[in-house]
Amino acid sequence: MKGKFKQFLGSIGHYFSDFGAAVVHGDWSVKLSLVFMGAGYIRRRKYLYGVFLLAIEVFFILLAATFIAPNLAKFGTLGTVKAEMHFDDVLFTNVWNDFDNSFKILLYSIISLVAILIFALIWISSIKGAYSLQKMDEQGEKPPTIRDDISSAMNEKYYKTLLAVPVGGIVLFTIIPLIVMICIAFTSYDEQHMPPAALFTWVGWANFKQLFTTSLTSTFGYSFGKILRWTLVWAVLATFTNYFGGIMLAMLINNKRTRWKKMWRTCFIIAMAVPQFVTLLLVRNFFADQGIVNTICSNIGLTSLLKKIGLVPAYLNYIPFLTNPNWAKFMIIMINIWVGVPYLLLIATGILMNIPQDLYEAATIDGANSFQQFRKITMPYMLFVTGPYLINSVVQNINNFNVIYLLTNNVFETSDQLLANSHARETDLLVTWLFRLTNEYYNYKMASVIGIMVFVVCTVITLVAFNFVIRGNKEEGMQL
Amino acid sequence: MKNSNQPMMKERFYPVRHIVLLALAIFWLIPIVWLLLCSFSTSNSMSISHFFPEKLSLIQYKNLLFKTDAANQFPRWMLNTFLIAAFNCLISTFFVLQVAYAMSKMRFRARKGLMNIGMILGLFPGFLSMIAVYFIMKTFNLTNSHIGMIIVYSASSGMGYLIAKGFFDTIPNSMCEAAKIDGASQNSIFFRIIIPMSKPIIVYTSISAFLAPWVDFIFAKIMLNSGIAKDWTVALGLYGMLDRSRKNLYFGQFCAGGVLVSIPISILFVVMQKFYVEGITSGSAKG
Repeated sequence: MKGKFKQFLGSIGHYFSDFGAAVVHGDWSVKLSLVFMGAGYIRRRKYLYGVFLLAIEVFFILLAATFIAPNLAKFGTLGTVKAEMHFDDVLFTNVWNDFDNSFKILLYSIISLVAILIFALIWISSIKGAYSLQKMDEQGEKPPTIRDDISSAMNEKYYKTLLAVPVGGIVLFTIIPLIVMICIAFTSYDEQHMPPAALFTWVGWANFKQLFTTSLTSTFGYSFGKILRWTLVWAVLATFTNYFGGIMLAMLINNKRTRWKKMWRTCFIIAMAVPQFVTLLLVRNFFADQGIVNTICSNIGLTSLLKKIGLVPAYLNYIPFLTNPNWAKFMIIMINIWVGVPYLLLIATGILMNIPQDLYEAATIDGANSFQQFRKITMPYMLFVTGPYLINSVVQNINNFNVIYLLTNNVFETSDQLLANSHARETDLLVTWLFRLTNEYYNYKMASVIGIMVFVVCTVITLVAFNFVIRGNKEEGMQL
Repeated sequence: MKNSNQPMMKERFYPVRHIVLLALAIFWLIPIVWLLLCSFSTSNSMSISHFFPEKLSLIQYKNLLFKTDAANQFPRWMLNTFLIAAFNCLISTFFVLQVAYAMSKMRFRARKGLMNIGMILGLFPGFLSMIAVYFIMKTFNLTNSHIGMIIVYSASSGMGYLIAKGFFDTIPNSMCEAAKIDGASQNSIFFRIIIPMSKPIIVYTSISAFLAPWVDFIFAKIMLNSGIAKDWTVALGLYGMLDRSRKNLYFGQFCAGGVLVSIPISILFVVMQKFYVEGITSGSAKG
């Protein structure tokens, strides 16, 4: 880890020392390139590149004057002019003043910063390029023609050609949005500060403090603790019930004593064919308070039996499958087993078939019973092959929006006033809470803070899991 | 699970395990059967007293397909989703294969760094950035538009390169070296050697990209918020049918819609199934 970091710093150091060398040892045209990009290229008679670089510079300067500078100037305050309407005597109507939109200022500033960074990279590489042309000239080599450059873009620099567009997409639609949302965690962007009607501004760590405090006015601390605990419980339970359920089912079906293997497998795989949102919405009506399952349960007397045991409150004449917090949590896990086990069945079947059969034969000869075989052969093999997948699915379950949202939205209402004050519910995961805060209550600042906390939780889990569960070299970890 | 390797007694029938399996299978099939039954029932609302409908008919399908109204634009939704899915499939597959090839078969200084950044980005909850993407799209007037949806689905698809990279890793490097000696450029190695050899992973990648818009609910809900039924995708439309105010009028049509959507998805899924396990295990083990 430390070595990698040093290597990383080293490569950054190299990057800038190369640039320094180009500036110091470059001739007048390279130095002129510092101000007029492309000068060095034009001097070496590479006019097309020279003009192109100059055009980029002109474009950037225009962009800086019209877009970057005005936005970055307001970045510190995120705008000061509030939107107001006044009567215009000339036009004879109400018109808006020239107000600031805090969100646009923030968004455009981030885009500006990224644009500056990209321009700086082009600038540095243009000077390095000019210097390398100079060196070639001094050594009497012929500088590469455009055809050479195209050929190098198809060969040793092909990765740049391949990665340019996909990485551009990721920068625009993942990285910039993420930076914006992380910034929002440090602002006052919420229902009372909604652009364009109102301004928001920087508030430092106040939102993070709010997430951890419980007071008379704010119950975020209480809700966060409760929901984080349920999120973790859910992630672990959902992952492991599906994992072991899938393996058990796969072993049951693939066992030699089971007949009609294909038919059984198909039965479970059909469940995957119907899109998740259809089955989840259906199942939620299935288990509604006045739904068909409740009718059947009361007809066969299960409802009154559960009432007698005390699992159903006496004042209800139905089983609150999705409306009572504890029942709902139980049902969510059960329904998630229904949704997830077929996938694991598919995966486990594939992997189980790959386990060398002679391992089992040897174990049988040594007198190992089937449970020992399962514990000493099947599980280690499965865990080795699916280890990274398992960690990945814990993280995915922390972010498992669909199951919880589709099953409980508009169905489950909380009776816990403290949770309700911060718009949370017992069944919420951090992500569904985040979604409700933005979608229904426009509390973007707290949603961003929660999003960052989800990231922190996922990162900790991933790091710990990869460092302690899967030690050493993956390729050599499993010696069969 | 006892003595799974005893070679003898193949012909004996073991009733207990088959009864367990039968019970489990019934448990797994009930919701599907119920979906089918409801889609063939005459009642518009959810029946709470009968599991089997009293009369079977095709009326729900007929209404769904031919009687469009403010809440039901099913043919339109299918078309919308199909177009979005087709373009997403095309763009995403290219992006994924490009990134996977660069990360698997080429060596360059920023490679490890980029892969780590990709992993870190994957740890952020997806729709945290979605909210900002929504505002970005809004400034370009691309919310409530299908071009916007295509961009949202496919722009960042390059991050899902791991499975394809795992597959490319299994193609021996010596093959690329030999081609290079014969004078092939990286470009022609990619298009003439790697791509023709990678049919399984191309099928897997393109089908999963094609399926994403059919099953995605949340991104569509954020981006297509105009409330005009004609703009929606299938997932959003069917969700709207079970809205509290509409549930009692459209439940039958919802079920019919669910059945119709499942048909193409299950066909594609059967095709993809073979590569699914390979993808999961190879991608994660070598990631």
